[in-house]
Amino acid sequence: MGNLTDKPELNQKKGKIGNLNSPKNPFDYNQREYGTVPLDTNRAPFQWVSEVAYKNVHRIVSRGYDTTEVMEEGYGLVDMLFIDYQARIPLIEEEKMLNYVMILALEDGLSMPAVMSRMVARSKTFLTQAAGASILAFGHAYGAYSAFGNRLESYLSRADTEGLTIEAAAELLVEENMNDEALGVSDLMLQDPAAQRMIARAEKLGVAGKYIYFTRKIVKAAQKISDGPVDLDMLGATGATMLDLGFSPEATWAILAVTRAFAAGAHYIEEVERGEPCRTGQTLTPKSFYDGPEDRPVPPLKDRNKNAKSGICHTVDEWAAAREERKKIVGSGHAIIEEIEDPSKKSGIKKVGKL
Amino acid sequence: MDREPLINRKTAISYKTEEKTVMRGYDLSELAEEGYSFCDALFVMYQNRIPTEEEEKMLKYEMGVFMEHSMSPSAVGAIGVSAGRPNLPCAIAAAVTTFGGVHGPGAAHGYMLNKYLERAKKEGKTVDEMAKTLVDEYMDAGKPVMGMGQPQHIDSDPRAEPIHLRQEELKLEGVYLEFQRALEKHFHARRKEEGRSYVGVNVVGSGNTALMEIGFSPNAGWCLGSVCRGFSCAAHALFNMKKGRAWGASRNEPMVQMIDLSMIKYVGPEDRVVPKQADRQEYARKQKEEGEYKKWVI
Repeated sequence: MGNLTDKPELNQKKGKIGNLNSPKNPFDYNQREYGTVPLDTNRAPFQWVSEVAYKNVHRIVSRGYDTTEVMEEGYGLVDMLFIDYQARIPLIEEEKMLNYVMILALEDGLSMPAVMSRMVARSKTFLTQAAGASILAFGHAYGAYSAFGNRLESYLSRADTEGLTIEAAAELLVEENMNDEALGVSDLMLQDPAAQRMIARAEKLGVAGKYIYFTRKIVKAAQKISDGPVDLDMLGATGATMLDLGFSPEATWAILAVTRAFAAGAHYIEEVERGEPCRTGQTLTPKSFYDGPEDRPVPPLKDRNKNAKSGICHTVDEWAAAREERKKIVGSGHAIIEEIEDPSKKSGIKKVGKL
Repeated sequence: MDREPLINRKTAISYKTEEKTVMRGYDLSELAEEGYSFCDALFVMYQNRIPTEEEEKMLKYEMGVFMEHSMSPSAVGAIGVSAGRPNLPCAIAAAVTTFGGVHGPGAAHGYMLNKYLERAKKEGKTVDEMAKTLVDEYMDAGKPVMGMGQPQHIDSDPRAEPIHLRQEELKLEGVYLEFQRALEKHFHARRKEEGRSYVGVNVVGSGNTALMEIGFSPNAGWCLGSVCRGFSCAAHALFNMKKGRAWGASRNEPMVQMIDLSMIKYVGPEDRVVPKQADRQEYARKQKEEGEYKKWVI
């Protein structure tokens, strides 16, 4: 391993390098060592730690079950989802319900995952790139299962700690989140019975629990204060059912995004079969789409100082005024607010939107 | 709410109205209400047909056995991406996109079978003769025969032969299984003849054969496999996100972490002084002339 004592000449030869010799630096850059860090023998060596699965030369074992034996015993893919995510064999009714949910989640016409898959397909890629890209469509508006589920968890927890009835918790949730895309109640399914049928099936199979019950109350609360007609939508029906099947909000998000990716593969194939690849520079954007600054001459570089405007704000007032102006520049990002937090434990609750 | 289509396309896969979502002519909600399975729906999606019970069982088995594979490139990809704590779908997308020319190359295997079956028809050879031709052509060229060998399950992939057996038990034997079995026979014979070790069929060789047999195209089969793996990779990413440490480099963990500094082994050019801008042109010209840099170009 190289270090300073190995190679003093390197640091000696360098002389002044930019600002690295500045006394404002909290270090003496010239005294820093080269070389990689030796293996750490004081701690256990790195291993892939997993609670989910392991394999050896002869077996693949998930949550204690040999996966080949699981299949030989007559279980299937849907059972494996319960094993991987919940470390348990599902009841027959639960397996049936998840099959039902996944059929409904499989396809949604030319919606965003399909469109993303098709766009990637047009660049002559592997199918797997397109299927992978489709999964990226799942956020906190489209396919917002983690946002929906975590919100339910959060208000149910508030009901417990604040001594609220379920009805009161539902009303509070609606009051505070009425226009959120992940509410699970909207005008999207007023003429399509699929969401209601899913909940009815969960009840018929005996797998409906507190989440479906709470969601029904949320629907009622939303209907009470909404200006127009609203009802349970597919996000609400699917999200609540998955939670009652024991899946966490994040597991639900993952399972349903992957489920849709099976269809994204078909959209990739159809795009390749029926369409043409798209070349670099091929796609035009008509001027009629454009509403930015008028066409203007590029000023000569020698006149740069005459034309350039500084972006530096020296006072908070200047900054606030500049910020307002910058918000008007569409595409600059100044008009957007995001709260980017570690989504490890909970995801989708924080707001992303316009200022 | 704007419900206009995002793109204009003719599609034979599905449509969606305010009243229903229809895939290949079937109302999805009706399909679920009738008690069909998710695997049935995949036949409808990719093949425009309701499968036989045996075919549905075969798909359920194949996908179930393929879904979880502990630490493979796909799971490692998902875990690696999750270390930065992006949203979970990023880790899953990364996992699915690890499937390429080597990791689970289902489409490549399928296209190989189709190509040689076409040749069998054109050249008037039997399936067995053409399987031998395939093995000889691949091995003569030093190319790996798709569907054979697995770097971790060196003593025969625990999923592979059981898939073949289940396909036979379900009486789903067709030309693909006949071809694959013949391929394996000639592959084993040639390796034995050359004094080389036994290399068994892998899950792509057997699983993809079953998928092709029950009517899926090479790419559809690849999609079923690679996307299905996404389910388990998401679980691995989620475990790491919920119960592991972000970044994977903490010195406070009792075990050295995935990207601890000590995990880095460097084998590139020696440490060297960055040239001053005043010397840059001469330095760069000399470097280019000497050409030693070329051995590092990737």
